[in-house]
Amino acid sequence: MDAWVRFNAQSQSKDRLFRAAQYACMLLGYTLHKSKAAADLLKTLSDLEKHLSLTRKFLRLGNSVEALEAAKRAIHISDGVLRLCLTISHLNKAMYFACDNVVWAGKTGLFSKVDQQKWSQRSFRYYLFSLLVSLTRDVYELCLLMDSDARYQSAKTSSSPNPSHDPPADCLSSPITSSRPPLMWAWLLRHFRQVITVLQNNPPLLLDLLKNSCDIFIPLDRLGIYPTGPGFVGACGVTSSVLAILAVTHPWLKLKP
Amino acid sequence: MDAVIKLTSQSQGRDRIFRATQYACALTVYLLRNNSERRDLVDKLKSLEKNMSAGRKLFRLGNAVNSIEAAKRSIQLSDRVLCLCLTAANINRTLYFICDNLVWARSVGLLRSIDKDRWNLNASRCYFYSLTMNLIRDVYVILQLMVQRRKDAHFKQKIERHLNESTETAEVIIPQLDAFVFVLLETLRSHPTVALDTVKNICDLFIPLDKLGIYKFNAGVVGFCGFISSLIGIATLAQPSLRIKP
Repeated sequence: MDAWVRFNAQSQSKDRLFRAAQYACMLLGYTLHKSKAAADLLKTLSDLEKHLSLTRKFLRLGNSVEALEAAKRAIHISDGVLRLCLTISHLNKAMYFACDNVVWAGKTGLFSKVDQQKWSQRSFRYYLFSLLVSLTRDVYELCLLMDSDARYQSAKTSSSPNPSHDPPADCLSSPITSSRPPLMWAWLLRHFRQVITVLQNNPPLLLDLLKNSCDIFIPLDRLGIYPTGPGFVGACGVTSSVLAILAVTHPWLKLKP
Repeated sequence: MDAVIKLTSQSQGRDRIFRATQYACALTVYLLRNNSERRDLVDKLKSLEKNMSAGRKLFRLGNAVNSIEAAKRSIQLSDRVLCLCLTAANINRTLYFICDNLVWARSVGLLRSIDKDRWNLNASRCYFYSLTMNLIRDVYVILQLMVQRRKDAHFKQKIERHLNESTETAEVIIPQLDAFVFVLLETLRSHPTVALDTVKNICDLFIPLDKLGIYKFNAGVVGFCGFISSLIGIATLAQPSLRIKP
């Protein structure tokens, strides 16, 4: 119970829980629709999902300020690429929250003249940009880790009595120019194994990468760029919310900065 | 800005800000009720208040566990009166949250068989009992502090000085009442935590008194009291030194 009290005390954690519930309703609704369940059950799930969505928008009022503060903090990061990625990501999130607040005001009747569809599309666009930049950051961190892993491996092999045949390649090096496909496959396989090893040794990066990869399907679907349907979107939403909850309950899993 | 973000990052902080806004809307609706030019604004504020109330109900899901934990802590207090008052208050608060969650489940259609009005009344009743126990605790703490102060020799001199200086006839005729009021005000002035908690609970009490029909107030009074108690709640959260302990 102590753990729940601590979890409940942060508004972000509660939001993640409601998000998981919202996307679970979407997924459940799609599954039950496929299996031709009762109409009133489907209606209950749809109403609950809409209620959770609108209330989450209400609870998000004021998150723009937090995102702007996070962007102000990100400006002081020493690494140039990380600084750029995180600042842009937070600024886009701030714009997303601002548009989201306008949509909420329109839905609740505060500003009835608001074109909800237009502002909703805008908010998803900013959300998509923010996720793309976050994914870029994840790939950059992955490359850095692969580089350092490659350097460590080469240091290990150079210090051993029988140095091995192939020097390990880094993230950006190109395969040996040979027309033989098996060499390309070997290079790809080696790189793939390296990626898996690096991700296994860095759970925070793995969690963040998975979370952003799941999240990106939501704005892609809503903007019509890559429609996947409510079932897939619901599953991705639930997965990313569960991963976010894990990052809250286990702070060591959170990617820093 | 940092302090605001720290406040909004806590669930309780966010809820109190929304509560303050909700009751500010209720108060404004009451003040503008006869203004025909602002009919539009009044409708928007009513809608905002309704949405905030519904949103806060969802946000309160799971708060019953917090109250159970608080009851478990208060049961271990050494002072028997405090232990009884706070444990009873926390148990009633838990029941209030459970009833509130059931009303939420009914309003979203998850539970169709329950009587929403009856459970709303149950929730108000539990909230009322919880506030009453909190007020009894406040009165007990104030009385303890007053007795302590009266025993203090330096303070006795202060009372004598105050009684001798007063020229009001009523105060001279009923010196004990005057002394009592003086001691009470001095105690509240020197212990702002108790004073704030008492004012907050008294303001909060108007809400269930009105809902249960025990004593009907107009919507403006309820809105004003709710707004004041929310502001005090925000102040105690932002400044933990202002919160009453335990």
